[in-house]
Amino acid sequence: MRRILAVSFALLFVVGLGLVPAVSAQTREETLIYSLQSDIDNWDPPNSVLREAIILGYHVFDHLAVRDLKTRKVGPNLALSWKPIDDTTWEVKLRQGVKFHDGTPFTAKDVKATFDRVLDPAKKMTARGNHAKIKTVEIVDDHTVRFKTDGPYPLFVERLTAQVMQSEKVIREKGHEFMQENPIGTGPYKLVKWSRKQEHLLVRNDDYWGAKPAFKYVKVRIIPEKATEIAELLSGGVDIIKAIPPDQMDVINKSGSARTATSPILRTAMLQLDQAARSGPNPFTDKRVRQAANLAVDTDAIIKHVLNGLGDRVATGINPMAFGWDANLKPYKQDLAQAKKLLAEAGFPNGVDIVFHEGPPIVEPAIQQTNDAIVADMAKAGFRVKRNFIGDNTVLVARIKDGKAGSMFNWSWGYYSVFDADAILHDVFKCGENYSYYCNPALDDLIFQGRSTLDAKKRAETYVKAQQLLFDDAAYLYKWGLRGVWGISNRVEYQAPADEVDRMFTVTLRKK
Amino acid sequence: MKRYALRQLVQLAVVIVGISMLAFAILHVIGDPVTLLLPQNAGKEEYARYYKLLGLDQPVYVQYWKFASRAVQGDFGKSWYTDTPAFKLVIERMPPTLYLTFAGLGMALLISLPMGILAALKRHSLVDNLCTVVAVAGQAMPLFWLGIMLIIIFAVRLKMLPASGYGTWQHFLMPAFTLGAFLAPITMRLVRSGVIEVMSTDYIKTARAKGVAEWMVVAKHAFRNACIPVITVLGLQFGQLLGGAVVTETVFAWPGVATLTVDSIRNQDFPVVQCAVVLLALIIVAINFVVDMVVGYIDPRIRVGT
Repeated sequence: MRRILAVSFALLFVVGLGLVPAVSAQTREETLIYSLQSDIDNWDPPNSVLREAIILGYHVFDHLAVRDLKTRKVGPNLALSWKPIDDTTWEVKLRQGVKFHDGTPFTAKDVKATFDRVLDPAKKMTARGNHAKIKTVEIVDDHTVRFKTDGPYPLFVERLTAQVMQSEKVIREKGHEFMQENPIGTGPYKLVKWSRKQEHLLVRNDDYWGAKPAFKYVKVRIIPEKATEIAELLSGGVDIIKAIPPDQMDVINKSGSARTATSPILRTAMLQLDQAARSGPNPFTDKRVRQAANLAVDTDAIIKHVLNGLGDRVATGINPMAFGWDANLKPYKQDLAQAKKLLAEAGFPNGVDIVFHEGPPIVEPAIQQTNDAIVADMAKAGFRVKRNFIGDNTVLVARIKDGKAGSMFNWSWGYYSVFDADAILHDVFKCGENYSYYCNPALDDLIFQGRSTLDAKKRAETYVKAQQLLFDDAAYLYKWGLRGVWGISNRVEYQAPADEVDRMFTVTLRKK
Repeated sequence: MKRYALRQLVQLAVVIVGISMLAFAILHVIGDPVTLLLPQNAGKEEYARYYKLLGLDQPVYVQYWKFASRAVQGDFGKSWYTDTPAFKLVIERMPPTLYLTFAGLGMALLISLPMGILAALKRHSLVDNLCTVVAVAGQAMPLFWLGIMLIIIFAVRLKMLPASGYGTWQHFLMPAFTLGAFLAPITMRLVRSGVIEVMSTDYIKTARAKGVAEWMVVAKHAFRNACIPVITVLGLQFGQLLGGAVVTETVFAWPGVATLTVDSIRNQDFPVVQCAVVLLALIIVAINFVVDMVVGYIDPRIRVGT
């Protein structure tokens, strides 16, 4: 018996050692480590709404056009040039000599296949709404395509930055399921290994057509706990992290091993209120209750004291960096007496019970602390808020999409990095859209008008009207335009991006 | 011993069937699973289609039989959120948690055995009091706080260990210590009282009278007998350790099954919850079986008495 026990334990030990993964071969010197608090749901960017998927997509895939972070203008990438042929046709010339990671050359066929797949209603791709104005893509020759649009499409060029180019051969031969875990792009890095909710290892694509990234490897680690993420940055285990709570900035800046960088980003945060009653009947279907919520919160004080000033107050969901923003529209100011009065008028003289679904601090710094402050302010006006924390962002997103997010929930919109009012109005405020809990036909008309003319002045006027409507109707509880806070190791140089797309291929070693 | 083992095995089988029934029931006590799966605006036809798809239109015993026969083959269905087989998700994340738990167990023994014996031998001395203080402090310390403190000291300040992650033996030290500190106090107290009790028995006096060296008395005669309650408690505590693993895994970004389970419960991702519950319960049952065997082997009274 004794011998049997001893042998079994020895065997267990040996098997155990064998299962522990071996130390990775790449050295720290040639590896850049970036961390995220939450993993992606798949490696097929048009099939995901997550910011993480957009960011990782930029590393393995290329877009037809990209934004220059200095000028914020859109410039060529896989497309060399574009021009409107008439009101509803755009011609795009493609770059030659570009190859996918599997060696297949990139041609007009791939552009067509990519858009055909995204636009196919049967595929139910998340990005479909972004490109719904495109009717067809026609191949003119190997390196020229023509896009036919449904009416004039002012956002055509901007939207080219929000669609990765995928391979026609992969779409045809390997199919949708394969693409969820095996990205084959033309981008600066290739995916070596994805350990779900643990890490992604990328290796440099040495055949890349563009500038060669400085680091041979990029490791993307998933670290759910913010305190651990910051500790990793300070101990040199990670090079770049994002969404740092403002109260931790000093710790990082005084550490001597890392620093912080901030930048206004194209993302507006709000508490979405279920005006459209997608989750069933609730108090926020009454305009007066929504107005009361907006009047209850002292948002300026929260920005100043909780966020240390790192937020830009907005009157509606439109971000100050987006085309169409109305600087003259003044936001709600706290007025508790008026808030109570409105609640009483709406039939809640003794206050009202609300369920609040809270999300994790993945893209929004200090979300928990600001939620604390908002809930406390709302309580003063008579909102009894029951808080329900959802720790997994993927799940919160899925619930919102299915119309199950409840009467009030945390949400912020990064515009798919398209600097235009339409990029939030259509997806988050229009009747019947996946992430919209608001429905107002008058607003839908304005959204339609705004996206149906190429005349910039007319569009700007339309958006001024839309913002006034959203303000008066208090569609959601409006918060602020975010300022991103990044933590950057002192071993590297990195420019914080205003479009919230971290690009590890632009990171270089710091000169000593 | 063979009869004893057989009896334990029969009990084990009953427990496993019970667990599978409980796991099956999870899906049914939460209300209507189809409401969770379908969008808010889904129509009646869609509901009917899903009932049929999930087999919910059949009698409960048929549903259980289907669940059990598929589960035996490792088929728990697909995760409702990631569209991946639940079994694959759980199995991928099982080894890190098991290694962590065993390492935690080892660390707990490494701390508690010498301290417990020392405290017992030097009863009511400064050493004993010191050990008690350490035990109380250990018991009172939240795992989360201890984990972060260790990271700040050993990773941020001293730069001796990686702050988080999984892969090398260095990655094991802090999480294992954190988890070990959770279990060590109770084990230490048990070792102490066990050794004290045994040291006053007749056979120890006999051993001493025969002139056996004191260290030999402690190591060979006292320790073996003092071990019995400790081993039993360790077996029982294994489940508790898995609970502690949830916090430890979160702090140290450890890709284990404990966090997966808790996340899945929170997300109401029931195929994953069912799979994790069944597999974890199987492991706990297996470990308790091994513990029963070991205790039976060490203490003949137990296997004869039953």
